[in-house]
Amino acid sequence: MTVIDTILSVWTVHQITLRTIQHLYMFSIALILSILIGVTLAILVYSNPKLANIWFNVLNVIEMIPELALFIFLLPILGLGEKPTIAACVLYSILPIMRNAYTGLAHVSNEYIEIARAIGLTKNEILLKIRLPMALPLISSGIRVAVVYIMGIVTLGGLIAAGGLGVPLQAGIYRYDIPAIIVAALWVGTLGVFFDFIAWIIENRLARRFNPW
Amino acid sequence: MVALAPLFDAILQHLTLVFTSLAIGICLATPLAIFSVFYKRVSYVVLTVINMVQSIPSFALVAIIVPLVGIGFVPGVVAIVLGSIVPIVKNMYVGLAKTDIALIDTGKGMGLTDLQIVRYVRLPLAYPAIFAGLKFSAIIANGIAVLTAIIGSGGLGRIIFEGLASFNINKTLSGAIPAILIALSLDMIFSIAEKKLKSKSVY
Amino acid sequence: MTKIYKESKAIDDLSFEICKGELFVILGSSGSGKTTTLRLINRLIDPDEGAVYLNGNDTKTMDPVKLRRKIGYVIQQIGLFPHMTVKENIGLIPHLEKWKEEDISNKIDELLTLVALPPQLFRSRYPNQLSGGQQQRVGLARALVMDPPLLLMDEPFGALDPLLRMQLQNEFLSIKRKLDKTIVFVTHDIEESFILADRIGVMHGGKMLQIGTPSELLFEPANEIVSKIIGAENKFKAIKFLQAKDVMILIDKNCLIESDISCKEAIDKMISGKIDSCIIKKSNSDIAHISLIDLLNEKDKERSVMDLGNKLSVFAPSDTLSSIILLLKPSKESMAAIMDHDKVLGIVRLNSVLMNLI
Repeated sequence: MTVIDTILSVWTVHQITLRTIQHLYMFSIALILSILIGVTLAILVYSNPKLANIWFNVLNVIEMIPELALFIFLLPILGLGEKPTIAACVLYSILPIMRNAYTGLAHVSNEYIEIARAIGLTKNEILLKIRLPMALPLISSGIRVAVVYIMGIVTLGGLIAAGGLGVPLQAGIYRYDIPAIIVAALWVGTLGVFFDFIAWIIENRLARRFNPW
Repeated sequence: MVALAPLFDAILQHLTLVFTSLAIGICLATPLAIFSVFYKRVSYVVLTVINMVQSIPSFALVAIIVPLVGIGFVPGVVAIVLGSIVPIVKNMYVGLAKTDIALIDTGKGMGLTDLQIVRYVRLPLAYPAIFAGLKFSAIIANGIAVLTAIIGSGGLGRIIFEGLASFNINKTLSGAIPAILIALSLDMIFSIAEKKLKSKSVY
Repeated sequence: MTKIYKESKAIDDLSFEICKGELFVILGSSGSGKTTTLRLINRLIDPDEGAVYLNGNDTKTMDPVKLRRKIGYVIQQIGLFPHMTVKENIGLIPHLEKWKEEDISNKIDELLTLVALPPQLFRSRYPNQLSGGQQQRVGLARALVMDPPLLLMDEPFGALDPLLRMQLQNEFLSIKRKLDKTIVFVTHDIEESFILADRIGVMHGGKMLQIGTPSELLFEPANEIVSKIIGAENKFKAIKFLQAKDVMILIDKNCLIESDISCKEAIDKMISGKIDSCIIKKSNSDIAHISLIDLLNEKDKERSVMDLGNKLSVFAPSDTLSSIILLLKPSKESMAAIMDHDKVLGIVRLNSVLMNLI
């Protein structure tokens, strides 16, 4: 059998196309939720550094928990499958997004805020028209960190029956199916590098367009 | 509940995995970082490779170790080193490379050799960055050490996987809780070590 | 000490000598190559062509680290290591040279005292606990710790506010007098160069345009560019920082007569010496000037010169021209004597000096 035949056979036997779709589905949901929650929390606390610090301390502790151990704690509440996987992704990814968004919103140079006030913008207008756009480059680099986290955790979801590309990896290891391991690992690795690359391009574009830092 | 003796063994095994990997990680990262500071091309290659490795899901790293190294304790360590070395190299490099040029200049002007500048100027000023990297790396190592149980490295992950397979929540918790406590103490250990080192005289 | 460099861009076919024990100021605007020149001396950079000679030895043959330990180096950013105390900053190189702890400690105290920082107050402080001026003093102490015969200073006072700068310049001058060091001092500040320099080298576009004393540069600029850099077309401003030593006329021994001779003897002396006016030193603070015509007009030729002559005001060599003018103006005097302790160095003729300034 040629290499291509082996790959094709692994691909069909392990339903890699289906697994990839499941994988990216969980990835997208988790990423969107993380961004929404992370940015919202940052908006809620940006004018209150003390409150922000409490949040960051709590999230920091969550960040230290091994992914599998976090799964274990979510299982009794959310059961097996996609839900605990997505929940874990979000719990890990809020911190990088929220911290970067907070830094971006709270540390806009005072002169811009002064000018905005001087031309008569309200606090909310300043948030929407000045702070948020200026924080975009920082938020996007927080999102890039989250992309890498979520890719990793969604892959682990295979271990708790969430489907996705962790399934062929686990099957390959349990059955000592070397071709399956190689194909699945390289495919997951490629996806990880690819999405990080996309995120990097977006981050770079934004940073180049307006980098107030 | 689970018997205490096997749990104790698992914790010990887990700590051995984590600390062996960290030690190897530091030994590999230090020369890489120092070379990167002095040679632009090396730094470019190292940073590119490292950024790519960082974006590969840890499960894929652990899995790909099987065809390359096999299964057991050593492949486990290899996987952990691979997955956790990135923040050490990155932070060490950034910490050492970003030193104020004026300080390097005076150091040279005073008659310090390049290595003495690393030892007396760059390194102590990079401590905060380096320790942040070490802390992060230890946390990641602890996480991957749980995962490497799937390729037979032993440790607390084994108890978790056994518990998952038999739907025994108590068993999974008896693996997960020590793993979390280890993570928290690693964070604390490195914070304390940093303070100790900082309060010491530079020479 | 001789240096010859040829470096295509930053330094262009540069060659000059610095004498042992002098304070040589390299004056130039940014981009003139003055800092590059300084860094060539301690081999922070090496010339593409040519060489730097230290006491006749090519520095290229020396180990750069050993060379630099014998050359003090002070820069504008000061570069105190923020993670080391004052003591550790100054003692680093002695420590690496394996001095005895006690010797290092004594040396640190000696240097801190020299730069006017009480050791017991400052030894254990960190740089961020010091003011800008204090930091720069520690920087100077650190540069002096190996007792280097040569000191390189790159705009050391450039970042300080004007008042502090003036104070440190004066302190530095008095420290310099206590030490026997050759100093190369880089600055873009003309005033600073005039206050400090024994000689000034004016640099522009990587070339050394002219080397000379402050008054040489001011009154005889070699070309348009030097004249522009020095501000020679607006020399009058120079009265603020030109010092007596820069503008005085040196006194010939023959022009100095003792106060215990008679009028007749003085006339004989002056005629045989072919001079028509002279200085009488009556005491260390009583200096008088008298011309031959006045002496000839004196009826009583046996009179002692002690009672004759016009009393001159006395100034020190470092007094500025403006302070001299200010003090002489009320009495309409036009001449002053310049004395270093009990030695008469020269006289300043205000009229001719002012004529030169216009």
